[in-house]
Amino acid sequence: MEKAIPEEIKEVDLLVGIPSYNHARTIKQVAQTVSAGLGKFFPEAGWILCISDGGSTDGTPEQVKKAQIEDARLIFTSHPVHPIDKIYPPYRGILGQEKAFRTFLENAKSLKAKACCVVDPDVKSITPEWMKNLLQPIYTDGFDYVAPLFARPKFDGTITNSIVYPLTRALYGRRVQQPIGGNFSFSGKLAAFYLEKAVWEDDAVRLGLDIWASTLALSGKFKVGQAHLGVKIHEAREKTSDLATMFTQVTSSVYALMGEYQDFWKGEKGSQAIPTFGDPQGMAEEPPSVNWERMVRIFRLGAKDLMEVWRKALPNESALWLASIGRLSDGAFHFPPDLWVRLIYDFAVAYRKGSVHRDHLLKSMIPIYLGWVSCFIKENQEASAQEVEERIESLCRVFEEMKPYLREHWP
Amino acid sequence: MSWQTIIIDSFSKFTGKVITFLPNLLAMITILIIGFLLAWVVKTLLWLFLKALQVDKRSERWGLSQILSKGGSAFSPAHLLSRFCYWVVVLSTLILALNALEIEATQNFVAHFFNYLPHLFAAILILIIGYLMAIFLSQAALIAAVNAQIDSAKLLSQIVRWFLIILSLTMALYHLGIAEKVIVAAFSITFGGIILALAIAFGLGGKEWAKNFLENLYKRKEKEKEDQDRISHL
Repeated sequence: MEKAIPEEIKEVDLLVGIPSYNHARTIKQVAQTVSAGLGKFFPEAGWILCISDGGSTDGTPEQVKKAQIEDARLIFTSHPVHPIDKIYPPYRGILGQEKAFRTFLENAKSLKAKACCVVDPDVKSITPEWMKNLLQPIYTDGFDYVAPLFARPKFDGTITNSIVYPLTRALYGRRVQQPIGGNFSFSGKLAAFYLEKAVWEDDAVRLGLDIWASTLALSGKFKVGQAHLGVKIHEAREKTSDLATMFTQVTSSVYALMGEYQDFWKGEKGSQAIPTFGDPQGMAEEPPSVNWERMVRIFRLGAKDLMEVWRKALPNESALWLASIGRLSDGAFHFPPDLWVRLIYDFAVAYRKGSVHRDHLLKSMIPIYLGWVSCFIKENQEASAQEVEERIESLCRVFEEMKPYLREHWP
Repeated sequence: MSWQTIIIDSFSKFTGKVITFLPNLLAMITILIIGFLLAWVVKTLLWLFLKALQVDKRSERWGLSQILSKGGSAFSPAHLLSRFCYWVVVLSTLILALNALEIEATQNFVAHFFNYLPHLFAAILILIIGYLMAIFLSQAALIAAVNAQIDSAKLLSQIVRWFLIILSLTMALYHLGIAEKVIVAAFSITFGGIILALAIAFGLGGKEWAKNFLENLYKRKEKEKEDQDRISHL
């Protein structure tokens, strides 16, 4: 089922892209919700929905047909999914997503789209309001990039809240709270910029498409905002359930982009809040109990056995500090935020230098990450969601205050 | 023949041999002097060239310097490479010098040496690649084992390292043709023995222990499943 751009359509106002691969269970609902949202909130605008499929075998194309999207408003293309995509899928779990994104950007260019948006194919909690919150700032308010802002339980998104958000904020100077949230929107101008800048074979694009898109928007000085979208519930929560793979992909994308855009971030100081659209919504679920003692055990095991690897990558002072907290008992266990920030910067420097094999370096970071998360959870078990937000905010400030340390050590 | 004639004859024969041999000796000495001089020039030029290319800094970035220092080398990669080339030239000079003597025994030795040289280089290459792989894979095993909460992660990593070192050493010796049969037999007996010992321990001697071990392992896996984080890391 291939369906190209209808000949009579030369330009569109809005373009929405959904990459898919064996998403028969959810694609119909997602396509219908997107279509309903566009019809409801942009009745005057011309829009097209682009679905790019990676050769699904579970009847995804049939489900798209069943969604009964008006013929002139649907483009259905296919993108190749190579064996490597299946062996090493990206953390978002959408195989061949970068190829689908490329096709989408080419369509945006040829149709001179004013506002574009990409949506995950398996997000069950999507509502028509998502289209309004993501596309209106671009279409009517002149924004270039809008990141999602999902309501999440207080301990969810630990990689985002402990590494990606604070680091992106300290580096690029703007407070995009969920730079790896997927489901983002951008202007036609930014689409052309992406098309020009993308190296499609790069792991940063293949594995970390959303952080790549956020970083380019920030480092390119585009007008950036974020939009409340409520809760995000995926068909399968995280397709790449293996923490090591997920962690490695995210951190390697962030660190690789740091190297690429060093000229920009070296000159940035502090950070600015960005406009937020839509209404914030409460959490959908109570935070689950987390076994933080198990995480501390992994940290201790790391401090015992991985010190040899850490010493190759870290300055002596950081390694000694890690060794000393590895000796603390469960009750006294405390991971100071300034040590955590220092380590994130030390690992960024080591990644840049390549003093340890990069995959080994990032995987050896996991026990440290679990040590930090366990301390964060332990110390905030009784805290409200608001208090947890404040802790994250104070961590972000430490990242900004210690940025000179990074500048000083950056090779 | 009078004894004087014998002495004179013997002396003239000796003088003749010395006179015949002298040019070869002179050639050998010349080759040695030029060779050592050339080796020194090659070493110095190569070292300056590698320094200009910042090979030491790059090696540090790629982790090669750390591997070398871990392997006990006190030299930097540029120094090591230039010294290696120096010794290659010196060795070639010595062989050429020996060959210049035109003595049958030395010529046979030189011919054998050149026939053996490819095997020697292959063996050295096997050892270097084996050592590097042992370091890389043992580190990968160590990190993976720690992340999988295996208490004896270090032991596992050492097993991987020594297995690969012994394997590459065996392959190198086999390639050099040194006691081929003994090497293969020793390797097979050692690893076959380990597997057999484990099988017997699990099957007979350590039946109860093996049962408990597997039960605990299963229970631990079940517990880990229950304990798994219910938070989303992304």
